Amino acid sequence: MERTSRTGALVTALTCCALLVAACGADETPQETAVGEDVDNPGEAADEAADPDPEDAVDADDAEVTVEHVQGETTVETEPEVVVTFDVGTLDTLDAMGVPVAGVPEVANVPAHLEEYAGGETSIVGSLFEPDPEEVNALDPDLIIVGGRSSEAFGELSELAPTVDLTVDNTDFLNSFGEQLGVLGEIFDREEWVEERLAVLDERVGEVSALADDAGDGLIVMTSGGEVTAYGPGSRFGLIHKDLGVAPAVEDVEEATHGDAVSFEFILEAEPDHLFVLDRDAAIGETGEAAEAVLDNELVAQTPAWENGDVHYLDEVVWYLVPTGLRSVETMVDEIDAALR
Amino acid sequence: MPGARARAASRTRGVRRWHLVAGALVLAAAAGASLFVGVTDLGPRDLVVGDDREAMVFLASRVPRLVAILLAGASMSVAGLIMQHLARNRFVAPSTAGTVESAMLGVVVATLLFTGASLVVKMAIAVAFALAGTAIFLALLRRITFRDVILVPLVGLMFGGVIRALTTFVAYRVDLLQTLSSWTTGDFSGVLRGRYELLWLAAVVAVIAYTYADRFTMAGMGRDLSVSLGLAYERTVNVGLAIVATVTGVTVVVVGAVPFLGLIVPNLVTMALGDNLRRALPLTALSGAAFVLACDVIGRTIRFPYEMPVGTVVGVVGSAIFLLLITRGRHRAR
Repeated sequence: MERTSRTGALVTALTCCALLVAACGADETPQETAVGEDVDNPGEAADEAADPDPEDAVDADDAEVTVEHVQGETTVETEPEVVVTFDVGTLDTLDAMGVPVAGVPEVANVPAHLEEYAGGETSIVGSLFEPDPEEVNALDPDLIIVGGRSSEAFGELSELAPTVDLTVDNTDFLNSFGEQLGVLGEIFDREEWVEERLAVLDERVGEVSALADDAGDGLIVMTSGGEVTAYGPGSRFGLIHKDLGVAPAVEDVEEATHGDAVSFEFILEAEPDHLFVLDRDAAIGETGEAAEAVLDNELVAQTPAWENGDVHYLDEVVWYLVPTGLRSVETMVDEIDAALR
Repeated sequence: MPGARARAASRTRGVRRWHLVAGALVLAAAAGASLFVGVTDLGPRDLVVGDDREAMVFLASRVPRLVAILLAGASMSVAGLIMQHLARNRFVAPSTAGTVESAMLGVVVATLLFTGASLVVKMAIAVAFALAGTAIFLALLRRITFRDVILVPLVGLMFGGVIRALTTFVAYRVDLLQTLSSWTTGDFSGVLRGRYELLWLAAVVAVIAYTYADRFTMAGMGRDLSVSLGLAYERTVNVGLAIVATVTGVTVVVVGAVPFLGLIVPNLVTMALGDNLRRALPLTALSGAAFVLACDVIGRTIRFPYEMPVGTVVGVVGSAIFLLLITRGRHRAR
């Protein structure tokens, strides 16, 4: 009798554990995916540098520069020839600079102007989160760039070649972005070019902020799988509030950098004059319900933004996947400019 | 002697009625109160003197959400109770027998094959998968000679794990991982008028279950005994399967998976009322609805004005209750 009951207890405890594991599993999946957001972007291929810039090749005289970046200081050969970047934003910037890139990660959705890097010319050196050391090594790079989603690979990659982390700080987006651009300017000896582009950008930002002063407030939301999350000034889309000066319709969303799940009542009560919408399902190539369909309901219809036709669907690839490239930032500023006019 | 039995029976009936009435009253009160929990500031007075907007919020958001919660909670608990009879095991529920996982696989497949398919098509496919998955589980059970109380749900969990892995793999390959997460965590935040009505189907199915209650009770006594008592065993099991699969498929498509629900609510109720299904079903439905309602209200208020998915809250509260159940059960055994 005693024995049976003890076995019974043991067995019960075991099931209990198993059930807990099952339940936890169910709960954790979304969180894991939330942290690893956008991991799952199998993409396209590529290989050699598309248009080698003769100037860069000639000038390979082993001059070095020590640059400061997010994870310390790194000494890099100036105008490195073989460049691998795990940061798609940087790829965008390098492409704008005319610097050839030898290796990029596998990404599903790239902006149209970067498609050549996904089409077979450039080497694929792993995914955003998992670099493939062998592929990287095979290229024998002079410089590796990480940033954002790939910044955790810094340690592993810096053993292979000089590596810099150009992660942009979302809480101070434009300044941080300018600094990272400055680092690229130093390494590739394009300081003037960088300064010019930044000056132009600055001017545009000023123009948009002036518009924002009279445009009312705004709320940034993202839709995914039929559900809605709200983003504030401290978030990855904080540029809209902090740099471009659109007043946040809800002050305290600030706290959450990863977005807060909200109900449609929340949107109704926020009464935003502008609704900035990002369709994540579209951004990562999923076939979810379109943002338009999710937001098209009685509650959202009552907001000033909906009534005045001020619901702005942001370019999901630029805002969600490649927000830190030079041309991306320029596009983002243009989009908000158009939205506020 | 017969007198004593009759008295005992009438006492049980009295207990059952008392439970039901009390439960219904508590639930009604809680449901009424929950209608006034939300981001929009809305009190009972506003419904009388309020403007169009307040009425709209009430009818388009509050009432649908409450109805969805009650329907999902009640029908999932009923499905769990039926499942426990069919498998003759207290630890078998849609979430521990691969049913929920199969339904999710169905949704992924539906999304894949019919891009932009309507909710009804997705649901039909989810139900079909849930049906197939549960049938496979029951077939597996029949092959197991050592049908230990614990072994059965463990087999179910492993089976569910395999299907979940398959689902995740498919979703990963086709970039659906993110969307998958919105089905794996039950969430009522998107429920609005016009977006939850399919849940009524689950409720209808749960009501049908009531008409089959006695047959399920009999089936729960085992195949041999029930056949010798004249029960069409196979057909009863199939009806039960269909009910469980439909309820699970519909709920997964509309709100997502709610863990523990089909497991703890039926157990709590049968602990109090015994294994007669006809007796236990109404209270199971009531308690399930009340449990989900409580968890959703917690989810709505804990980080106000933001939302915590009901699946997460149920996971936390449910596992605590489950542990309590198990430890208390052990004490009683000694």
